[in-house]
Amino acid sequence: MLSSSLSNRIAEQARTRPAAPALLWHSGEVTYAELHAMAGAAAARLTALGLPHGRPAAMVAKKSPEAIAVVLACLTLGQPVLLPSPELGAETLSTLLERCAAGRLPAPEELTDGHEPADGHEPADGAELISNEPAPGEPDPQEVALLLTTSGSTGLPKVVPLTTGAVDRFTDWAADHFGIGPDTTVLNYAPLNFDLCLLDIWTTLSRGGCVALVDPDLATNPAHLLALFRQRPIQVVQGVPMLYQLLTRAARTDEAAAALAEVRHAVLTGDAISERAFAPLPQLLPKADFHNVYGCTETNDSFIHPIDPVDPMPHGTVPIGEPVRGVKALLLAEDGSELAGPGLGELLVRTPFQTTGYLDAELDRGVFTERADGRYYRTGDLVRRHPDGVLTLEGRRDFVVKVRGVRVNTTEVEAALCSHPEAVEAAVLAVPDEVAGTRLHAVVQRAAGSSLNSLELRQAAAGLLPRAAIPTTVELVDTALPRTGTGKLDRKAVLRASRHARGQSPTTTPAGG
Amino acid sequence: MTRTDDIKKYLIEQFLLDTTVEDLADDYDLLANGVVDSLGLLTLVSWLESEYRLDIDALDIAPENFRTAAAINAFLEQAQAVPDGTR
Repeated sequence: MLSSSLSNRIAEQARTRPAAPALLWHSGEVTYAELHAMAGAAAARLTALGLPHGRPAAMVAKKSPEAIAVVLACLTLGQPVLLPSPELGAETLSTLLERCAAGRLPAPEELTDGHEPADGHEPADGAELISNEPAPGEPDPQEVALLLTTSGSTGLPKVVPLTTGAVDRFTDWAADHFGIGPDTTVLNYAPLNFDLCLLDIWTTLSRGGCVALVDPDLATNPAHLLALFRQRPIQVVQGVPMLYQLLTRAARTDEAAAALAEVRHAVLTGDAISERAFAPLPQLLPKADFHNVYGCTETNDSFIHPIDPVDPMPHGTVPIGEPVRGVKALLLAEDGSELAGPGLGELLVRTPFQTTGYLDAELDRGVFTERADGRYYRTGDLVRRHPDGVLTLEGRRDFVVKVRGVRVNTTEVEAALCSHPEAVEAAVLAVPDEVAGTRLHAVVQRAAGSSLNSLELRQAAAGLLPRAAIPTTVELVDTALPRTGTGKLDRKAVLRASRHARGQSPTTTPAGG
Repeated sequence: MTRTDDIKKYLIEQFLLDTTVEDLADDYDLLANGVVDSLGLLTLVSWLESEYRLDIDALDIAPENFRTAAAINAFLEQAQAVPDGTR
């Protein structure tokens, strides 16, 4: 029987094409044989250490070939692996692992070095690990393979389990849609814990292609990005609008521009690209088809739109397009009825790749809803169906915005700023930024007589917020913030009066994965 | 004004810190407090390159070198001490 699961497909590549490149990393190359050997070493070490029986194993590590090998080892062993962001604060991380009852894995470098430890080892955090025999043969498609986390602005990230079946259905679709095969090189820009890696890394490896890994520490360094394109022609690129801005910057010479010219598929996702940011792209990537992909961690890629370079924004923004193969979607009007014709409604989707629900089932309420034909995910995104049937994102039904791929609830940022005793009230606004896509601007009223400055306020908020949620600019005022007729904080009026954001209008940047 | 003050002046203007050179401490953590993010780092590096006629190697663009005004100053000192035949 031909194997269909991710781990078996990758093992098959190692058997049949051992010398083929699997990963590019810092001007080096890792072949399928080497990746397989690293994963094998890690699997042996993990088995010797004892797997956390029936519980997830947490890999808290930055992207690297070793980290990928450890994930692969877990998939092979049938051990569900939790991938939290390595940038989580220590306290949040330990609470998260505790809630998931996850055993933390030793560092990937330690697991993959292939040497047996001299004495009995315990995992880094001393969690009790109970021995478990490796799962042979085809993994059960109903079993959880990966546990991703959603980016939250405060509090704990939500844990999103994905089954082997969901992952395999995704790689089937993605490989087919973007023509990913043994001769394809795909750029992986996103951090390892992002759902985008299902395409860049896992689809590519499952089909015997080569993944050009961007080091997250150098992700905004155009020279680092360009070096990967020089190392090997790259055919598929996926990233947030900022990546394309960086590539535009990187291609300053003819030689550099030529290195980018082999891209056949450019996938834009995670944030709405501005008309101005899109304009140079058709020339930058002359052979590329441009795809706008809409999706999130809970459902993975849900909609796809082929962008027409001649008319990229037919309704003032890039449409979200058509449901991906096998995806069902509908718009719900405010009264809860299904919107059949043109109008504005909340988008609900159901995909073959979606999670079975959050690990903490309590969180499912109001987010996943059962309908006659199955379980739908409420995206929280407001979508307009135009008279011509085209769908575009209009905003959110809550205060969630997306800042460089990270979901941020602006009311939570406001609360963090107000935790400073001298801050009276705060308004946090998402404003469009040419390079970053969206940035946060805060206007904070300080107490009478207070000399609180933006530096102190940032320091107070930084302790409570992840980096991406700290406003790019913080403006202090001594007068009360404007209110609406009904006495609510009038964020639009705050923005109009703001010194730093004058003339800007709030974005309706969609949230998503 | 010292060079560290010049750096602070730039940081305040570029990142709209709404504060004074005196209020920005030498050891204020620009990264942890979200003043300089990954894109801001690139902007900062290009300013340092043109202001101090440096050619900063891609691999030196490690966030740690730019964590505080004092660290940036120390990084500049080191960078300028290295003789570079290419210029």
